[in-house]
Amino acid sequence: MTAPLLDITGLKVHLHVGERIVRAVDGVDLQVAHGTCVGVVGESGSGKSTLARAAARLLPNLPATISGTAQFEGRDLLGMNERALRGLRRRHGFSMIFQDPLGYLNPTQRIGAQIGEALSDEDGAKTPRIAALLDEVGLAGARDIVRRYPHELSGGMRQRVMIAIALASAPKLLFADEPTTALDVTVQLQVLQALYRLHRERQMAIVIITHDLAVVAEICDACHVMQSGRVVESGPTASLFANPQHPYTARLLELSRRRAGVRP
Amino acid sequence: MGERRVAPAAFRGARLRAFASTRHGMIGAVILALLAAIAIAAPLIAPYGPLQQTSASLAPPSAAFPLGTDNIGRDILSLIIYGSRASLLIGIGTALAALLIGGAVGILAGFHEGVVESLLMRVVELFQTLPAIVLVLCAIALFGSGFWILIGVVALAIWPLQARLIYGQFVRLRGREFVAAARVAGLSSAHIMLREILPNAMQPIIVQVALDASIAILIEAGLGFLGLSDPSMVSWGRLLYVAQDHMGDAWWMSLFPGAAICVTVVGFNLLADGLNEVIDPRGAAGGLP
Amino acid sequence: MLRVAGRRAVWALPLLLTIIVVMFCLLRAIPGDPVQAMVGDFPVPPAYRALIEEKYHLNDPLPTQIVTYLGNIVSGDFGYSYQNQRPVIGLILERAPRTILLASASFAIAIPLGLLLGVLAGTARRPLADKLLTTSALIAYAIPTFWLGQLLVIVFALQLGWLPTQGIGPMISRAHGFAWILERLRYLALPALAFAIHEGMRIARISRASVIDTLGQGYIVTARAKGLTRGAIIRRHILRNASLPVVTIAGYAFGHALGGAVLLETVFAWPGVGLLLVDSIRLRDNMTVIGIVIVSAIAVVVMNLVVDVVYALLDPRIRTAR
Repeated sequence: MTAPLLDITGLKVHLHVGERIVRAVDGVDLQVAHGTCVGVVGESGSGKSTLARAAARLLPNLPATISGTAQFEGRDLLGMNERALRGLRRRHGFSMIFQDPLGYLNPTQRIGAQIGEALSDEDGAKTPRIAALLDEVGLAGARDIVRRYPHELSGGMRQRVMIAIALASAPKLLFADEPTTALDVTVQLQVLQALYRLHRERQMAIVIITHDLAVVAEICDACHVMQSGRVVESGPTASLFANPQHPYTARLLELSRRRAGVRP
Repeated sequence: MGERRVAPAAFRGARLRAFASTRHGMIGAVILALLAAIAIAAPLIAPYGPLQQTSASLAPPSAAFPLGTDNIGRDILSLIIYGSRASLLIGIGTALAALLIGGAVGILAGFHEGVVESLLMRVVELFQTLPAIVLVLCAIALFGSGFWILIGVVALAIWPLQARLIYGQFVRLRGREFVAAARVAGLSSAHIMLREILPNAMQPIIVQVALDASIAILIEAGLGFLGLSDPSMVSWGRLLYVAQDHMGDAWWMSLFPGAAICVTVVGFNLLADGLNEVIDPRGAAGGLP
Repeated sequence: MLRVAGRRAVWALPLLLTIIVVMFCLLRAIPGDPVQAMVGDFPVPPAYRALIEEKYHLNDPLPTQIVTYLGNIVSGDFGYSYQNQRPVIGLILERAPRTILLASASFAIAIPLGLLLGVLAGTARRPLADKLLTTSALIAYAIPTFWLGQLLVIVFALQLGWLPTQGIGPMISRAHGFAWILERLRYLALPALAFAIHEGMRIARISRASVIDTLGQGYIVTARAKGLTRGAIIRRHILRNASLPVVTIAGYAFGHALGGAVLLETVFAWPGVGLLLVDSIRLRDNMTVIGIVIVSAIAVVVMNLVVDVVYALLDPRIRTAR
């Protein structure tokens, strides 16, 4: 048996807010094997985003105590220096996409430049590679998109651009933090399908952070349910959905079914 | 944090402790307390009277005159000690006057949406069009420069800052639930403005008062430096006005009064910084890994 | 984009008119003889008096006077300075380029200096470095420009003798071409430096706040996730976005500098508009005082418009909006 791609054990992120300590993540274990798709589900404030940010080393510069371990291909992520971290982010490591693509794209830079700077220089001319990435995320029709600014695109297009940026480093692992939450319902499904296609075609592992169990049901192999900084239940998606053990999971499922019922 | 109506006493105590724990704020407070003590006790600590002339004119710093003497033999140290009175009085007086004018305009504009609001804010903009120093000079040219006129004139030049701040606070708060509740309860406009909204907007306003005081002190010093401040008061700016003619033969006439202005202005700014830090403890933290 | 600037321009006109009317009313509010108030401490021959009374309709009701005065200003007649025996507008136009030169030189130093310090402080990895930079900027900003000017003169001109103490150039100069420029630069150096330090520290404080604000934006997280180096993030993502508000503030400050360099020009006897204002106040040359106030108001309003347009050009969100 090979080591998992991402191996998190006993991860704690305690934020210092004034005199108080907020236990955003409080002892989480999470394994992601090569080429699999794992969902982390929970309501807002359950610590799922903080977990992903901590693992991707993208937490904002706040006073916090982080303990436990997180390894990527056997290498210690939490203690890794910035230089090694950059190496992983630039090529064949991991990347991340976010809930609000408008805020996460630079408003004063053209799309082409923002994708281009994520490409490493060693792999040849950038222009054709940018075009190839745009093709891959389903923006082939919009040729002039490289010359546009983020505010000139629709929400779905922006999220596709974000995905293109994330793919630029040919990552083995993609953290997707609420990738569809800010989008229209119809667009949500398209973006999700694009993610799933990329997951299959590229053999890329994905960690999807979401409050929406429907998203997990759609594409995830395994699922972890988080509440107040802890994983309360985890297992293969199918069995977890069929037979939830924890009442919190059952409640989330119930909520999700009800929402699905009223969907157009 | 905005909905809190009036801070309970215990909470105020916590604020005070939080303020004391900001190094900036404490240094500022200590500087200002010392200056205030010096200003009050001036006759006790000054070695010479403010107008007392000695035979030693343009004497460099020595044991008898720690900071030297000016062109007519007055002791610079004593002049600086007495000068703290004018600076602090005008600084604080002006800041309070600006609070009154700016507060009235800001509250009225922020509370009444519509015509009153846009009209008043246009007036604020009008006053901000001219550089403060030009406005002040112009007013002094036309009306003279007595102590009270000076306070009024400088306040007239800097009140828009406070008005804008208070206006912004009121616009932020006027849509909140507790204001709507007060309206439903039939409380008078004056009551809502002064008793409901104002206490919630107080903290940044106090910070602005400290900043206004530092600006006013700089403007007053500038007027003194141009020889246009109240001639009957010893002022640091005026000492620099005299020093301008003796830069070649008496550097101490420039160095020490200017340093006094600087320390005072820094004191007010540090105080404001400390107060700001209490309001927004992690607001100012930056850093890129 | 042009609509924003256009709205500003439409509002600028009544703003200026109001200022002119208020200034004239203030002039008329000076107690005593109105003619003397206009002329200043200067003996008025009866012939002059009649001329002034007629020109400004001083014997007619106030509204007529105001309309007459407005008409004069619009046609470029800012009155006559009896102290200088010249039309006010000519005096101001002669002085203005020198003030613009001083302000431009200062801001050419202050903006890069302030941005650099602001970015260094805002992105500092260690909070201590940030504190140190911020506190130094605070202290430097508290230094009154005129005192800093005096100290610079004492050290660099009087003690070391490297640079001239005062003025805009030597009384008699035989220098030509490049040597002439160098000679002028020596006179410009100290006042521009004093001004630049003050304004630079203001810009540094604003830049730091703006940088910190930018650091909190999502696209900085994206840039980090891309594996960009710290330098690349600062260059490509922080500098441009964080300098947008700085451009605004620096532009407004520049507009104010054109009228507000009074103190600095006095220290260095720099014969600009500010020095003219002080001299006119001392001589009670009120026509000139009011002329300067109106011209500096115009300068501020025009600068604000320029800033709006520049801002729109720098920000694609506004530039491409129709």
